[in-house]
Amino acid sequence: MATRATKKTVKKAAAKAVKAVKKVVSKAEPTPAAVTLPALHESTTSSGLKVLAAQRGVLPLVAVRLVIRAGSSVEPADKHGLSDFTARLMRRGTARMSADEIDETIEFVGASFSVGSSEDVLSLFVATPAEHFPEMLSVLGQIVREPSFPERELELARERALAGFVNDLDDPSVVADRAFTRALWGDHPYGHDVGGSAAHVRTFTRDDLVRFHRERMGPKVSLLSVVGAVSPEVVAREAEKAFAGWEGGPETPMELPPADMKTSGRIILVDKPEQTQTQVRIGGPGFRVGHPDYFPAAAMNNVLGGGFTSRLVNEIRVERGLTYGIHSYFDMMNAGGVFGISTFTQTDKTREMIDVTLAEVAKVREKGITPAELKKAQRYLAGLYPLRTETNESVASVLSDIRVHGLGDDWVEKFRERLMEVKPKQTVEVAAKYLFAQPPLIVLVGKASEVKKQLTGLGPVTVVPASDYE
Amino acid sequence: MPKAPANSAVRKADPVLQSLFDVQEATLPNGLRVRLLANHDTPVVSLYTFFQVGSRNERPGITGISHLFEHMMFNGAKKYGPKKFDQVLESNGGRSNAYTSTDMTVYYEDFASDALETVLDLESDRMRSLRINDEALESERQVVMEERRVRVDNDITGIMDEELGTLIWKAHAYRWPVIGWEKDIENISREDCEQYFRTYYAPNNAVLYICGDIDPKKTLALVRRYYGDIPKGPTPEPVLNAEPVQKGERRAEVRHPAQSPAVMLAWQGPAGRDEDTLVLDIIQYALTKGEGSRLVKKLVYETQLAVSVMVDWGWRVDPGAIIVYLELKQDSDPRKVEEALYAELARVAAEGLTERELQKAKNNLRADHLRELATNSGRAHAMGHYEALLGSWRDGLTLPSVYAAITNEQVKAVAAKYFAPERRSVVTLIPAPGGATDEAADGAADGKDAE
Repeated sequence: MATRATKKTVKKAAAKAVKAVKKVVSKAEPTPAAVTLPALHESTTSSGLKVLAAQRGVLPLVAVRLVIRAGSSVEPADKHGLSDFTARLMRRGTARMSADEIDETIEFVGASFSVGSSEDVLSLFVATPAEHFPEMLSVLGQIVREPSFPERELELARERALAGFVNDLDDPSVVADRAFTRALWGDHPYGHDVGGSAAHVRTFTRDDLVRFHRERMGPKVSLLSVVGAVSPEVVAREAEKAFAGWEGGPETPMELPPADMKTSGRIILVDKPEQTQTQVRIGGPGFRVGHPDYFPAAAMNNVLGGGFTSRLVNEIRVERGLTYGIHSYFDMMNAGGVFGISTFTQTDKTREMIDVTLAEVAKVREKGITPAELKKAQRYLAGLYPLRTETNESVASVLSDIRVHGLGDDWVEKFRERLMEVKPKQTVEVAAKYLFAQPPLIVLVGKASEVKKQLTGLGPVTVVPASDYE
Repeated sequence: MPKAPANSAVRKADPVLQSLFDVQEATLPNGLRVRLLANHDTPVVSLYTFFQVGSRNERPGITGISHLFEHMMFNGAKKYGPKKFDQVLESNGGRSNAYTSTDMTVYYEDFASDALETVLDLESDRMRSLRINDEALESERQVVMEERRVRVDNDITGIMDEELGTLIWKAHAYRWPVIGWEKDIENISREDCEQYFRTYYAPNNAVLYICGDIDPKKTLALVRRYYGDIPKGPTPEPVLNAEPVQKGERRAEVRHPAQSPAVMLAWQGPAGRDEDTLVLDIIQYALTKGEGSRLVKKLVYETQLAVSVMVDWGWRVDPGAIIVYLELKQDSDPRKVEEALYAELARVAAEGLTERELQKAKNNLRADHLRELATNSGRAHAMGHYEALLGSWRDGLTLPSVYAAITNEQVKAVAAKYFAPERRSVVTLIPAPGGATDEAADGAADGKDAE
């Protein structure tokens, strides 16, 4: 809900000539202080679930993350949203506990459970006071091993989801993201919203959930990470108690087809006639998690559209006042990824926004970034990297990512070294490769009657109503 | 105002928090207060600067100046000119942001620990010698207008919240939105900004919190070197609370294109320092924290009248408001939902919570409190928040003991007092047909890109 505080989101400097950044603090090349993970202890339960434990921190808290390779990309083609929906229903009843009993057990001690799916994984998170860790892990085990999926809970969840889909249409940014995902990935398993659609959610039956749970979720395609004020011995012991006897699921994760994006300059214009602003998404192929291009691409992207001082922010927002926020990003998943740009502008500035954005992207694609810009990006990204290992929750997430995507256990330790090794030539190469060498897909959500006439000569335009994205 | 009895008797510092907060404190001759807390877990530092000024200190005609001014703080000072602040910060491995509320304006940076001196140089430069020029002010004004359009005019909860503020308060400055009225934002002059800077951005109106991979002794020496020569400013005028007593329920409607109706309600509450505030924290948790909380269970699961329910009870310097937001279904009757909500609140006032609910709320407050302190940023912000709203950061350390001692009798008394109908204000969203019918049907966009 709206709070009564407003945050600084835009910092527009005076439109004065920019002088070169002076080096304020002269230092030798920085040798970043070591960033390390706590010692990892690995065990496997009798049911075959891999368990990672990392003891750390002065606060009496523990974070648990269970990831299962059963994300939205392994759903049946006519059941979009089933992974996320199943994840939500798992805590609404087990063989031994009702939804109310589960809620009460978790919430009484001040623990919190959350669930959710991404394209690649279904995740369950638990944050608990350390003294209640065994009890909470036991509840997690029940939820995962023996959910009962009560019919009444399913109907309730469906109604809430459908009401949510309706209200989402009031949010043009949500509509834009949905349209972008669908158009960019097409028939690929990544080509639908993780939450699914109203048409599919309407058809979910209890059998669908039971089957998804039995066939897609199991110990062999899962990883349990436990981080915080608990010893590795306790973690291994309690994990065995909680997950012994867990059966089902595949032996190995499902292989996805490679990405095959058809962007080729198409424009999807979603009509929301009451809008005076246009939501803009521009994108094309990127790369998968753990790809060797990651470090040069991260540095290059930081210069193009990463922080508050990126070229896109400077040209689009600071110099021209065309928007209030713009950023570019690499979205990386297990079987492929996206390079994208997300922004919005006033209706009558839509074309100018697109033209200036594409021109800035083209400059970097053709000429790359300067060595000075690279150095700045490296220091920025390296300086802030330790924040990603600051909390139990973030360490648990990093551990899961390392194992699920095969990043290597030295990922955190070597991160800054690998980043600092990036050479200007590499950033030129990744820019040429990913910055829309082929014309990108453009998705616009706004007042079509005003926007369409601005798009002449830009590419083939398809106009669709917003209600297509319920 | 009657206070909950005898809580002060149980105030004692929580041992876990006590060991965590080994804080070095100092006050410079110019009045700048400094709080330093070392934590060498990771090679990063968070620096927070709290200025004791917000929309509470404004007057009609220049509402929104606190927030507009916050933007101006990033537009160049004497040593580091336009655009330099973030360029220098980012190229040294840091990032910045800021926020403005009714009661304070807060600037913060997270950065690699070897950038500490650079950050102090940047921050002290703008406190000492901010440069406000007309050109920068004009462009920043446009940005803020755009921000207002996005966050308020084209955001349903933004519109409702703004309407609600004017119902709750008749005289107090809390009645206008932090971002300000559109015409006032247009009206603010460079002279207003300069006077505002001299009055509220002087070192004696600020507190610095530095938490992370630092040597407190060396850091204090650096703070003295960079901030020591900034002259002390005048003592800001106290804010008069002239709010009259509310004499009955207040209601308003908002007609706007939307898929479903919604209701936003508020009850006039106590000030942050009032001990009733902590009892209301307990009640807030019992009402909406978790799937098994009273309002979620009743309104979302059992009766299914609402899609979601939120309670926003934030501490403020002067008496604040307990705000409830109900997101409804397309066919929900807002009046029916209101009645169900009132019945639940009346039940708390008449019967209190169950002992288990009371304990559950306390357990959750403690767990959330600890989680908030997991990061340098969280620790620095928590200290600033307590100091600004409770009077001292140390009061944060004793909160768990105060919560633990709260009884069901206090819960009943506080619920009966604050959830009375004559303290209530209600805003109902009536969905209007879509399409641009008037100026209110401007487009909508959220702050997704915002950081």
